[in-house]
Amino acid sequence: MSTGTSHPGRDRRVIVVWMVTSVALFLVMVTLGILMRLAQGDVMAITPQTFYALMTMHGLGMAGTLFSAGIAMVWYVAARHARPSRLAMWIAWALFLAGGLALLAATLIGKFAAGWYTLYPLPFLKATWPGWSTGLTIVSLMAMGVGWLVALLDILRALAVEHGIARMFAWDRFGAGAGREAAPAGVLIGAVCAVAGVLGTIVGAASLMMYLFQWFAPATQFDPLLLKNSMFMFGHTIVNVAMYCGIGVVYELMPGFTGRPWKVTKTVAVAWNATLAFILFAYFHHLYMDFAQPVTLHVIGQIASYSSAVPATAVTVFGLGGQLHRSGLRWSFVPAAFTLGILGWVLGGITAVVDSTIAVNLVFHNTLWVPAHFHTYFLVGFVLLLFGFVHHLLGSRAERLAKSGLVVMLTGGYLFVLMFFLGGLWSVPRRFASYQAIPYPDLVAHATRFAAWGAVGGSLFLLGALLYAASLVTGRQPAPDREG
Amino acid sequence: MVQSLAALVSLVLALIVVAVALVVVRRASRRDPAGYANVYRVRRYYAIGLIGALAVLLVLTLARTPYAAAAAPPPDLKVEAFGWMWAWEFVVDGESRGPRLELPAGKLVEFAVSARDVNHGFGIYDPQGRLVAQTQAMPGYVNPLRVRFDEPGTYHVLCLEYCGLGHAVMMGEISVQ
Ligand code: HEM
Ligand SMILES: [Cu+2]
Repeated sequence: MSTGTSHPGRDRRVIVVWMVTSVALFLVMVTLGILMRLAQGDVMAITPQTFYALMTMHGLGMAGTLFSAGIAMVWYVAARHARPSRLAMWIAWALFLAGGLALLAATLIGKFAAGWYTLYPLPFLKATWPGWSTGLTIVSLMAMGVGWLVALLDILRALAVEHGIARMFAWDRFGAGAGREAAPAGVLIGAVCAVAGVLGTIVGAASLMMYLFQWFAPATQFDPLLLKNSMFMFGHTIVNVAMYCGIGVVYELMPGFTGRPWKVTKTVAVAWNATLAFILFAYFHHLYMDFAQPVTLHVIGQIASYSSAVPATAVTVFGLGGQLHRSGLRWSFVPAAFTLGILGWVLGGITAVVDSTIAVNLVFHNTLWVPAHFHTYFLVGFVLLLFGFVHHLLGSRAERLAKSGLVVMLTGGYLFVLMFFLGGLWSVPRRFASYQAIPYPDLVAHATRFAAWGAVGGSLFLLGALLYAASLVTGRQPAPDREG
Repeated sequence: MVQSLAALVSLVLALIVVAVALVVVRRASRRDPAGYANVYRVRRYYAIGLIGALAVLLVLTLARTPYAAAAAPPPDLKVEAFGWMWAWEFVVDGESRGPRLELPAGKLVEFAVSARDVNHGFGIYDPQGRLVAQTQAMPGYVNPLRVRFDEPGTYHVLCLEYCGLGHAVMMGEISVQ
């Protein structure tokens, strides 16, 4: 099949529906985030019970929504170079939506509040929420997981049918076939993301089965360290993969703006296969402060985390540089959002690599430095790639309004994450519903002020996102080719 | 202080990245079909430099992990610390001291940290309110954390792992004379 074919209307419809769902859920989660920051800033009174339910929903909702959006982006790329199933995508979408709504019920009504990585045995022991909300949370996550597996396995199947295993992973760059044309970069990255996503989701499903078992048989006891490993292998992997799905879209679409091909060379092939390994092993950095974990695993965690900076910058960032440098490109919304998104990804990545140093993690782990770096590469990274993709998909004649939205989002987003970084620098602990009980008046004053400014930044971001949404409505373009 | 150094390194690297991004972005709209060749020429040096720098940093920082407890000289004092919803308890020689502990200055102390219900995080803050060291408090496991308290004053233990509604009010106190 030829590359770069346009989408028949039905392919487009499933992705548009999927994107509208993702962006709507994302905006709800942003609102919950602002409420949390207002509470921490002492601007608004929220009980700990409500705060932690909001926090749990926000974390699970963001991770679930953005990973789902990432899968849809990879599916879109895959559909340009292969024939993934629309039905699989509709099933996954239904499970994503149902899971998301059920989670909203479990947290906002049921007050489930074990945090986004629901560390065992917190969901089960002396819980301050009713048992049904724990059960509903487990089942909703499993439902979403099934949807992800259906979609990702189908993408892998479709790519393998069209390109063959060796070509989709670019292994054909080495050996006899190297003279022939390589698969498009989007295929390689899609394949890497899908494999990592499948492995992470399977580990997650296994952990959730244990959770479900525990829920039915409360006397059971599992090993908390084992479950911490498996829950992080799941959570870390899916959020990491979400990010790389966004990068895949940039490789796929950027050449359309610069007029330069972005080819899978030997270097790109090695880089993305190595990235697959780094994604899977870097999760150990979440367990540095578990001194009971074998030291070898800590060391593997730091090496894998450091190593991931090499393909990310020397291949992807330099690749983007090669795309842009003196290309004569016009800075329309999509390439601007993509470039800014990659910038946010790099800035978040730097602060992540710093924190992945064990000696540094000793004083940064579970301070606000942690949400600082991951909000950087998500909020002013992946989310900008997502908006760039949405813009590519829907188009808008109100380009000026769209760009003003982007500028407001950037201003608010960076103000918001900067306040988290300052919190981390000051040793402000993460996940405190209120800072008032901390026995250091200076620290309390700073933490509270950072939070209030963080709420301002978050609100600006929301305003920018709404401006952008308005540009899609006012500048609406008729959808291309409706047949299919 | 580790925090300031880490933040400074992050800031400097971030400024470099932003500066390079500005240059590339400003030059992007000018057209020169062979423009990307320059980028790839720089890349080789960048990659070698980055790999070298990361390797050096790995060697330097992996020598400073907090895990050496078993090998290092024996501690002057051993204290057990337990977290539960939502308080800390210190135990010295089998005797509970509740959430308050007194220690002589200048001694190497080993905390054997564990939890009685869910996971907690044992984070020690110095008299100025800076985090100096931490370890997880996990039920069923004991994590040994070594700290030397040179500076006298009142230290506090804050919980650094989310453990439910009382997470933000779970405080311990260590006074060092
Ligand atoms: C303007 C947008 C956003 C705001 C205002 C916001 C706000 C917050 C706040 C206040 C917290 C709690 C911080 C603490 O530990 O004290 C938090 C945690 C979190 N946020 Fe966001 N956030 C935003 C965007 C995002 C995005 C884009 C993601 C995507 C991954 C995300 C994922 C998370 C996660 C996973 C947590 C951790 C939850 C937990 O600790 O259980 N947030 N956010
Ligand atoms: Cu806690």
